[in-house]
Amino acid sequence: MSTRTLKGAPRYFALLGIVFWALFTMFPLYWVIVTSFKTSLSVVGQATFIPFVDFEPSLQAWSELLSGERGEFFNNVIASTIIGLSSAVLATAIGAMAAYALVRFPFKVKLASGLAFFVVALGGYLLGYYVFGFSRAAAMMMAFAAALVVSLITNRLKVPGPIMGNEDIIFWFVSQRMFPPIVTAFALFLMYTEVGRMGFKLVDTYVGMVLAYIAFSLPIVVWLMRDFFAALPLEVEEAAMVDNVPSWRIFTGIVLPMSVPGLIATFMITLAFVWNEFLFALFLTNAKWQTLPILVAGQNSQRGDEWWSISAAALVAIIPMMIMAALLSRLMRSGLLLGAIK
Amino acid sequence: MRNDPIKYFFIWPALFVVLAISIFPLIYSLTTSFMSFRLVPPIPPRFVGLDNYTSLLANPRFWHVTLTTSIIAFISVAIQYVIGFGVALALHAKVPGEKLFRVAFLLPMLIAPVAVALIARQIFNPTQGPLNQFMTFLGFPNLPFLTQTYWSLGALITVEVWQWTPFIVLMLLAGLATLPDDVYEAASLENASSWRQFWDITFPMMLPISVAVVFIRLIESYKIIDTVFVLTGGGPGVSTETLTLFAYQEGFKKFNLGYTSALSFLFLIVITVIGVVYLAILKPYLAKHR
Repeated sequence: MSTRTLKGAPRYFALLGIVFWALFTMFPLYWVIVTSFKTSLSVVGQATFIPFVDFEPSLQAWSELLSGERGEFFNNVIASTIIGLSSAVLATAIGAMAAYALVRFPFKVKLASGLAFFVVALGGYLLGYYVFGFSRAAAMMMAFAAALVVSLITNRLKVPGPIMGNEDIIFWFVSQRMFPPIVTAFALFLMYTEVGRMGFKLVDTYVGMVLAYIAFSLPIVVWLMRDFFAALPLEVEEAAMVDNVPSWRIFTGIVLPMSVPGLIATFMITLAFVWNEFLFALFLTNAKWQTLPILVAGQNSQRGDEWWSISAAALVAIIPMMIMAALLSRLMRSGLLLGAIK
Repeated sequence: MRNDPIKYFFIWPALFVVLAISIFPLIYSLTTSFMSFRLVPPIPPRFVGLDNYTSLLANPRFWHVTLTTSIIAFISVAIQYVIGFGVALALHAKVPGEKLFRVAFLLPMLIAPVAVALIARQIFNPTQGPLNQFMTFLGFPNLPFLTQTYWSLGALITVEVWQWTPFIVLMLLAGLATLPDDVYEAASLENASSWRQFWDITFPMMLPISVAVVFIRLIESYKIIDTVFVLTGGGPGVSTETLTLFAYQEGFKKFNLGYTSALSFLFLIVITVIGVVYLAILKPYLAKHR
């Protein structure tokens, strides 16, 4: 290929390094798979490595896990699957729409209107709760609605100050990702609790979790999809516009079919993020909608040294993502993801 | 760029969700951070001004968790970057079996950090774990991987390196694929050694993407909680407690809501300061090589 292809001795040094790294990467995965087939006999005492040679493999851990002998296990898998799939689908859909809009249409948002949102939301809440004596949740909802309206009006008015264009809006979306999630997770927990007092339960519910995960995934979806849409040829869309095809038809009929690979990749990456997510689930669920990572984390304190069943539980969380990795690397090899990564 | 009112229909769902679920709670939590607000024991919230912030800044535990988080983040990202660059270069140079490695190397970053930490707990187990058995085989005594501060930090950093080096490999590989061939051809004609070629061509040309990748990893590393939560639980004592774990303890174990809100905003400030300083330090280098 290029002159950068190594030859001779350096090539084998590089290979040696890579093999070493591969062993380091693969050993823990091998270990967890092997351990899930052990029994207490082959864990206590010395570490054992090779099935049939070191120890007699057994399906005990798996049968215990799958028969539900070890507590509510299926419940968590189902909760994780439902929450993961629905938030990944919705986040990809909503985020793709926003990314398309930000790539193809000009937007202008005045900084003043952003400030107005902040001031009205903050002041409105304080006013509603402390002066007018509404409940916290009611004060919040009114303040939010008022803040939206005021900031929309401010954007129409002639106010001084910088105007933010599409690039700034995209940066604003993506920068949400920089926020330490504990800030949002804790704030969301406080807000959900208050809304719950009004009778609309959000903590430990499907709606609450999916909403939180959509908001959590949108930055990455907008970031990935923007690159896909920007790389699409404009000519096809322009031709459709000459024929007076409405914009929403261009989007659903032309743009979306062309970006199916991108949508799939984005969906899978989002799903992986949500599937593995720990902090929001820790704060926002407590029983019914508890996801797998929380269950897996709990194994530790509940099980002590029962490594075989811990390993089996960990594998249930890992295996879907292994399948995903295989699929993703397929996509990657065909060069579909390259555009998004660059 | 065309104009059509339908654009509002496209952007509003996303905007609304982010405003309602990410931004608005922050405003509410900002008001909480200025109050003394506890659920246990339940006392009515009271405006205390900056008290939460000042008592946090005076709390040695806050500085300790900030330091611990910084140590984990900086050291693990540095190691990840060095190893990641090496692996990416080797894969780019098409070592034998390169295609197989590409798939295998992707795996760790797709695995739930809690599951990774559980596996690590088994491997680091002082008496039953394979690592200590290997160390004994090499002639070391049984090492206290999870019960002694420095060893625990080392274990956490190892887990971070294991899990996130693939991300750096992935990004750097994409970057390496974009480098032009002709520069290298010219360099070979002048008999520049591979070592010189790396430092004079590859490294400078990869600097922008390196800065971006390290930035992403650094910010992400500061958020670490799941690995610590499972692997050491912040222990021994509180010596490996990170910022997020500290906030969780205060908010969920003590239900000290005002204090936790203040803590999360301080955390936001710490991250922003680190991000801005990092970019400010590296800006001159980026400009020079462009």
